[in-house]
Amino acid sequence: MAMDERRVKVRVSNLYKQFGDLKVLDNISFDVLEGEFLCVVGPTGCGKTTFLNSVTKLYEPTSGEILVNGEPVDLKKNNISYIFQEQSTMEWYTVEQNIEYGLRIKGIPKAERRIAVDEVLEMVGLKDYRKYYPRELSASMVQRVVIGRAFATKPELLLMDEPYGQLDIELRFKLEDELISLWQRTGTTVIFITHNIEEAVYLSEHILVLTNKPSTIKRKITNNLPRPRNVIDPDFIQLRNEVTELIKWW
Amino acid sequence: MYAIISIVSFLILWAIGVHYSEIKIVMPGPWEVIKEFVDSFINPVGRHTMPLHILYSLMRVVPAYLVGSVFGIVLGILMGWFRPVNSIFRPIYELIRPIPPIAWIPISIVWFGIGEGSKWFLIFLAAFVPVTLNSISGAKSVDPLLIKCGQMLGASKKYIFKSIVLPFSVPYIFSGLQVGLAGSWATVVAAEMIRSTEGVGWIIISSMDTNDVTQSLVGIMGIGIVGFLLATIMRKVEDKLCAWTRREV
Amino acid sequence: MRMDKKGSVDTVIECRHISKEFTSKRGTAKVLEDISLQVRKNEFVVLFGPGQCGKTTLMNVLSGLDGATKGTVYSHGQEVTGPGSERGVVFQSMALFPWLTVRGNVAYGPKARGFDKDAYTKKSDYYIDLVGLKGFENAYINQLSGGMKQRVGIARAYCNEPDVLFMDEPFSALDAQTRYLMQEEIMRIWSTEKRTVVFITNNIEEAVYVADRIILLTNCPARIKKEYPIDLPRPRDYTSKEFLLLRDEISKNMDRTL
Repeated sequence: MAMDERRVKVRVSNLYKQFGDLKVLDNISFDVLEGEFLCVVGPTGCGKTTFLNSVTKLYEPTSGEILVNGEPVDLKKNNISYIFQEQSTMEWYTVEQNIEYGLRIKGIPKAERRIAVDEVLEMVGLKDYRKYYPRELSASMVQRVVIGRAFATKPELLLMDEPYGQLDIELRFKLEDELISLWQRTGTTVIFITHNIEEAVYLSEHILVLTNKPSTIKRKITNNLPRPRNVIDPDFIQLRNEVTELIKWW
Repeated sequence: MYAIISIVSFLILWAIGVHYSEIKIVMPGPWEVIKEFVDSFINPVGRHTMPLHILYSLMRVVPAYLVGSVFGIVLGILMGWFRPVNSIFRPIYELIRPIPPIAWIPISIVWFGIGEGSKWFLIFLAAFVPVTLNSISGAKSVDPLLIKCGQMLGASKKYIFKSIVLPFSVPYIFSGLQVGLAGSWATVVAAEMIRSTEGVGWIIISSMDTNDVTQSLVGIMGIGIVGFLLATIMRKVEDKLCAWTRREV
Repeated sequence: MRMDKKGSVDTVIECRHISKEFTSKRGTAKVLEDISLQVRKNEFVVLFGPGQCGKTTLMNVLSGLDGATKGTVYSHGQEVTGPGSERGVVFQSMALFPWLTVRGNVAYGPKARGFDKDAYTKKSDYYIDLVGLKGFENAYINQLSGGMKQRVGIARAYCNEPDVLFMDEPFSALDAQTRYLMQEEIMRIWSTEKRTVVFITNNIEEAVYVADRIILLTNCPARIKKEYPIDLPRPRDYTSKEFLLLRDEISKNMDRTL
């Protein structure tokens, strides 16, 4: 799929966000193409989370326009899923009830829910564990439930805010691979925030590098590395170092 | 700003309540009370003017409060930190704790007579009880990790007590001192019930003989205002000494 | 290496057949099982393993903050029976004294041990400068950021000039980027003032970046799974091929966190 032929899914124009006197976001403009995987990186405290929340109008922007499919973003109309930092499952629901949760909220009828949940369970490889409770599962399985729940509603836009923060490397690599595979299967547009440059280079088609507060876009980098990507590959390392240099303050 | 609004509203309600009800026969409105309060600074109530009454009361409260607090701090810290001390003194302390100072009046007179001594005793108790309690709390709450730090850095047990347990307890001690001060000052009425001829407590007590409600309220005003000033001074001192407990952003 | 009773001359800290159990109402939990290791002078050793596997317990036993159920710890051939100024500790939660200034905290050890004012002031100023906090001597702890607080913790432990410096996940409470900064800083500090260090972390990049040797522990009850000497020259490159291969190898070998 040639990148320039995809239409624009999300268009952010002149986004400003201020809390009282504190200017967090400063004139941010960019496009996200349909089905694109975009990573957002930046120095600590630069407002990445504010950025994500503003794009989805969870915070009302101070000014600026955010269009999804050409129209102002509307959480009720648009099908947007959100995964927070190291989000956990609901302990009192089984795996399949967790995955079903978003669908129930959206009012999807039972029969359709059934089909969707079955599909997701198959995609994340937890078909045999549908009746288990999260506390009975391993850490990686719990994360897969979280992802499954987000994908179950077949979101047009998936926002992820440092979901794999402090997990150990082996687990993170596995989850990243599964995320890529789910993304490729469903064609969802993904905006993924991380402080981990290696992760950004591993996952992204484009990387948005933010500056310190008040944040603007320092650079938008295109990531053409062929998949599956190899973290030891010299080209991978070069890109990783390039991005690190852009945000390095230490 | 809000404080002024709420006080003024209270005074207005008081005035309205008195004006429009039967109670005005026995109870004066706020304006009367304020007038007489201000007047008391020039014209004596009983033998002295208000400032002198306040001074007499302070002379009873302050020394007894200080002595009570010192005892409370020392005993409290030792009880909180050393288990044998706690075992010995805890039972006695717990028995004394719930008894209000007023209940001690008869005993106090028997032990100390009707002079200043018995008044000092009551106020001593009012300070001693809360200060001890909070000091125990402070010494008990020391973060064990900080103690381990002290040991790791090579400090002796005595040095740890001096340099870690004591400073850590200071905010707790101050809470106790605040409560003790409020309690001591409030107890001055009870104390001055033991044969006195001056003091803000006396103003209230003597008003009972003459059924002078206004005088009673004037006494209450005196106690309230001085108590407020004392608490404010205490808070400023605490702010200075305990600056390190505030989290700076 | 042949081991006589006192270990080799070069060994600063050594433990033999350490086991540690905790008994509570719910029963007995075995945290450490038959651990024996030696740390050489000026070596930077990392204890690495899955979360909650007993690394902190092992450090507590080695530093004397806690006792072992079985086995003995030796420091320079002498048995370790409690905490002491020869075994400094930097804690994850920093555990600084909030009523003291930076200088007050850093000088605490020497002052407690009886050094006179000139001596401990000079020492503390030197170490405050070494950790990069020059100018902040009179600041109070609550005025500092997380990274700065941890620098105070490091200076405080260093100021006592201990034989061994134990560091218990000192950077885990910091954000990811400050963490990178502190990893570079600890290397700079350590290379200026060489000391024996036993460093705990559960972050593999951090481990490979700082260590001369990584001791990989299993899950509870913790045993030594494997030791990895790290011979890469310093300062190390997180993205070099050798670094990435080591990272890969060790993390693959690590037990999964329970």
